Amino acid sequence: MVRNRLFSIPRLGGLLITVLSAWAALALLPLRLPGMELAGIAPDWPLIWVVAWSVKRTAWQGLMAGVTLGIWQDALVNPGEGWWPSHALGLGVAGALTALLQKDRLIQEDFISVALIVFAMAVISETVMAVQWSLLDHRSLGQIWLDHQRLTLASAILSSLWAPLVYVPLSRLWQSTA
Amino acid sequence: MTRLELLRRWWQRYTSQIVAGFGVLALAVYVQTTQAWLLRELYRGLQGGRVPDTRLTDARVQELETQVQALQMQNRQLQQLLNYQQQMPLVTVATTVVGRSASHWWQQLWVGEGSRKGIAPGSVVLAPGGLVGRVLDVTPHTSRVLLVTDPSSKVGVMVNRSRAMGILVGQGSGQAVLEFFDKNPDVKPGDAIVTSPFSTMFPAGIAVGKVESIDWRAMPAPRAMVQLYAPVDRLEWVLVESYGAKSPLLHP
Repeated sequence: MVRNRLFSIPRLGGLLITVLSAWAALALLPLRLPGMELAGIAPDWPLIWVVAWSVKRTAWQGLMAGVTLGIWQDALVNPGEGWWPSHALGLGVAGALTALLQKDRLIQEDFISVALIVFAMAVISETVMAVQWSLLDHRSLGQIWLDHQRLTLASAILSSLWAPLVYVPLSRLWQSTA
Repeated sequence: MTRLELLRRWWQRYTSQIVAGFGVLALAVYVQTTQAWLLRELYRGLQGGRVPDTRLTDARVQELETQVQALQMQNRQLQQLLNYQQQMPLVTVATTVVGRSASHWWQQLWVGEGSRKGIAPGSVVLAPGGLVGRVLDVTPHTSRVLLVTDPSSKVGVMVNRSRAMGILVGQGSGQAVLEFFDKNPDVKPGDAIVTSPFSTMFPAGIAVGKVESIDWRAMPAPRAMVQLYAPVDRLEWVLVESYGAKSPLLHP
């Protein structure tokens, strides 16, 4: 029974849309639309996607999704040679922590709480990035933590405002194909 | 139940998740090694437009360009007399900006031409106003540019008036910090900043910006805030100039 349902058409369709939506979240990153940026900073779409994915899944699934999207984001951003901070760490931590929150038991099921989780996870993932920059010695420490304040605030506010746009359709999809 | 039995059950229960997880990770690492080649090429297809040919409409620019050409010719002749080697760009490509940095921590641009037009990593990127950045890597039809406003970007520059040298480091905004080598550089607000002749990454004498303020008490040497000429945060098209020579990026 289980094996039959694993490869049914709705499930495969759901899987395809899931993968495409993750790619869409990455493809939105280089875009700056009017009203979508605050102080030159755009919403952190992959973070919103990872939080939406992890809310009702296990910590392992959250971690894997976060690390995967993080590696893809690195591909878009990091220069080829040398060691650069990876987005995989921050997003992986965000995914695992979101799953560990046990939202079903602790928090009401609605997109307001998802927006709040996105806010918190944006702060955490940007802090992980700042710590990596501090360890890697490419930039001066003062500059990194000054940037951290500015980036974290703008990214957390914008991402949590845009979170429902990603979360609602995806959660509908996963409910219908579960 | 034996311990082995337990382990077997655990494995049966979680094996698909673990295998799927590592499968997706392996795919992601593969995409990483290609620098998201496919996505960037697709992106260019969605966004790519034509470069506005402002030179045809703007007669004043044409007039000034002619003057500059005449001066360049004169300059080259004088430099030949002095036995001085002049760098000239091998290719100059005008291209549109198709995307911005895909991470908050970087100041980058995606532009709509790549290796097919002769752009190579290390090519210099200019905009109306002067220096904008340097090409990090290329696909056949896109290039990724590290802007001079990125905190990882370091450009060897000098004060045009007094030839006081320093390094220009990005601040993530329209301004950059010029860290002087000298303890007592000859500089004052309003001075023009150009790339230094000792820079291995940029040809000498490209306009960068002008000094806004100077912090004389900074350690170990004074620093100046430099306002960049080019409006880096609202560029729509840029000029990419390739000089052929490659040098390691991000390490001046």
